[in-house]
Amino acid sequence: MSVETHAHHEHPDVVGSRNRLGVILILVADIAFALSMLFVYFYLRMQNVNDMWLPAATEETPAILPLSSAPGWTVTAIMAVGLLAHFYALKGVRNKNQTQLNLGGLVALILSVVGLVYQFNTIASAPFTFGTGAYTSCFYLITIMNFVHIALTVFISLGNWNRSRLGLYKADHWHVDIVNVWWIWMTVSSLLGAFALSFT
Amino acid sequence: MTTLTNRPTSAHKKALIERLNIFTALALGVISAFVVWRLALQFLPQDAETSPFFNREDKITLLSMIAWFVGFMTGIGALIAPFRWLTGKDLSHDENMFYAGKDMGVKRYFRYTTDHKVVGIQYLVMTMFIFFIGGTLAMLIRTNLGNPEGGWIHPQAYNSIVGTHGIVMIVATIIMVTGPFGNFIMPIMIGARDMAFPRLNALSFWLIVAAAVPLLWGQFLGGISTGWTAYNPLASQAPLGMDGYIMFICIFAISTMVAGANITTTVIRMRAKGMTWNRTPIFIYGTVASVALALPAFPVFFLSQVMSGMDRALGTGFYDAAHGGSGWLYENLFWIMGHPEVYVILIPAVAALMEMAPVFSRNPLFSFNVAVLGIAGISGLSVLVWAHHMYMAGWAPLLNAPFMLTTELISIPTGMLFLVLVGTLWRGRLWVTVPMASIFALLWNFMIGGITGIYLSDVPADAFLHGSMYVTAHFHYTLMGAGLTGAIASLVYWFPKMTGRMLDKKLSWISFWMVQIGFNIAFMGMFAVGLAGQPRRVEGYAAIFNRGNLITTAGAYLIMAGMLVLLHAVISSWRNGVKAPMNPWQAKTLEWSVANPIPLENFDVLPTVTSDAYGYGKAKS
Repeated sequence: MSVETHAHHEHPDVVGSRNRLGVILILVADIAFALSMLFVYFYLRMQNVNDMWLPAATEETPAILPLSSAPGWTVTAIMAVGLLAHFYALKGVRNKNQTQLNLGGLVALILSVVGLVYQFNTIASAPFTFGTGAYTSCFYLITIMNFVHIALTVFISLGNWNRSRLGLYKADHWHVDIVNVWWIWMTVSSLLGAFALSFT
Repeated sequence: MTTLTNRPTSAHKKALIERLNIFTALALGVISAFVVWRLALQFLPQDAETSPFFNREDKITLLSMIAWFVGFMTGIGALIAPFRWLTGKDLSHDENMFYAGKDMGVKRYFRYTTDHKVVGIQYLVMTMFIFFIGGTLAMLIRTNLGNPEGGWIHPQAYNSIVGTHGIVMIVATIIMVTGPFGNFIMPIMIGARDMAFPRLNALSFWLIVAAAVPLLWGQFLGGISTGWTAYNPLASQAPLGMDGYIMFICIFAISTMVAGANITTTVIRMRAKGMTWNRTPIFIYGTVASVALALPAFPVFFLSQVMSGMDRALGTGFYDAAHGGSGWLYENLFWIMGHPEVYVILIPAVAALMEMAPVFSRNPLFSFNVAVLGIAGISGLSVLVWAHHMYMAGWAPLLNAPFMLTTELISIPTGMLFLVLVGTLWRGRLWVTVPMASIFALLWNFMIGGITGIYLSDVPADAFLHGSMYVTAHFHYTLMGAGLTGAIASLVYWFPKMTGRMLDKKLSWISFWMVQIGFNIAFMGMFAVGLAGQPRRVEGYAAIFNRGNLITTAGAYLIMAGMLVLLHAVISSWRNGVKAPMNPWQAKTLEWSVANPIPLENFDVLPTVTSDAYGYGKAKS
């Protein structure tokens, strides 16, 4: 291999583009994980092994009734509004509007916390236990994983807002771009969970 | 070690990142696990009478293992950068240099060091250690099988040894090329100063260290009695050691995903100026194909183990038919990962040998485009073949034919790689070194592994052969005969660049012949008893299989002796070997253009590439 040499400097856009690709690749793994959960849900629902997807009532135990999918869609709606707020923040940083960046980031952070609390409440108030049929197992799997996702979103949004507040995104804004990619995926993954839980 | 230069040193007070190392990690991990174990014992309620076996104990065990993991990663310093990001106090230049291991000597190998060369060496040592453990377990298995009635190992312990050997060797073979050489060599080969995400690079390594402890821990809690596949519902009824397996896989899967994103980004975004895809060395293609394949495959494995853990600890019923679950669900999730994983292991090893073939034949790589197509074809088809592991499970008999077709189709791109190797050697001026001999060994071993695989892909033949020692011999011919052969050749080839010393020539030749002869004796014997009907994973067998098993055991001892010779060669050469010149093989890829020892950031000025790496046999080449 023949080589020549040249001096080396990295522009922030180059660093940003690299980081963006890295996050997208990690999201590929997360997407595979989420799609696998959907596969599990629909596989067990279609198989309905021993009629235990939603067990009927017995002398000792009542029948398991599926929950409304409304809480799942509500979490999705909260995350979607959070995404819009983050879009607003992103637009702000692109236009060098620090106030808009801070405000959008703060609203996104608050909505991620609201989504987290709401998701926790959905899990804690479910009227069945882990082992009462395949539906309940899948319900807990999907909602707990969504809870973990939203918890990560809270961490990221908190860091993002704090750094915005400290004025760290004045020179370049690729961090905010990347956080936006995460928010998009968070909203889509919540939507996938709500979609699955609508088919009981 | 010096304190960070931008900090006041008058008080001689070390910064937090200077204090953290493997010892603080171990201490914090153990303390965290112990505290959580005690708290869980105290506060977790007793199970109801209807709860499955082990439920509370599983909760306690898994919580303690999670606490170990969090404690260890905190103690090694993995969480510092994320929390510094959160608080807006990014790492300074000096702190980044400290993380990179600048002027830190041997201590950097015991820290959360980000320099890709340090991570590569860490991976190399860890891989050798894992092979040592897995090999020792293999020798226990073979020694026990020297006698038809079984031997001196308790059947339950034997089962656990077989399962642990399996998973340990699978992990070792997954990391054996992309870990040491993908980290140390690859960035230099593409003309980069480091990986795209150096901290993620360190993270991927230390995650594996963190994962190893639960697996070891599990050995004292009943072990892994299910075989390495950990099929459910068998796994949900297994002893507490199974929780160690679950934690191990979950953490290892995260490591693989992180490494996959890092390596792929590095190659796509950081290749030297002028290194177009046509000028990118074939080893890079192999490495990227391997990690890119792992990226979507391992999350599925991760999920399968999360659900396994939930079944055991929380009483969910994903795999329990009595609760509406299905064992076939586990088999599908497992093999959706499990078959691509075979190629995650094989592709980089074969690509490394394709990288060496032009160097030692002084010929250009024969048909670069066919090589790339072959790698892409194998990667693409490998995700469409998983159910050939389930022909006899009764899952979906109508799908047997299409899966048979896709499995047999994969022999076409595999044949392309053979063609490239043979074409490169054809009429070359062969320089017979261990890497060159390894290419011939791979062609022989992989041919046997591949052809026997075609029989197993055929549904009627598989009806007879599945679950027998024939299957065990087949996959050892591919993973060990081809994969490990490629990895050892890589070690010999890149050892001078990684250590600055030449690997002892005489000892490496002795090791090569002992391992290859021993390997063929061992696994030909295994083919014979498998064809005669001996099932795999058994502790005792009928007396008619005795001769074949004795031959296999004798071959295994020869392999062990050969591997010990190699280990001795590595240690003695590393310490006192002949100093290596900058380019001992007169190769043309970029890693041979940097001096020994390699500077911290590899290149003073980044190179510009003006031709491909395979211009051998041409004027002035």
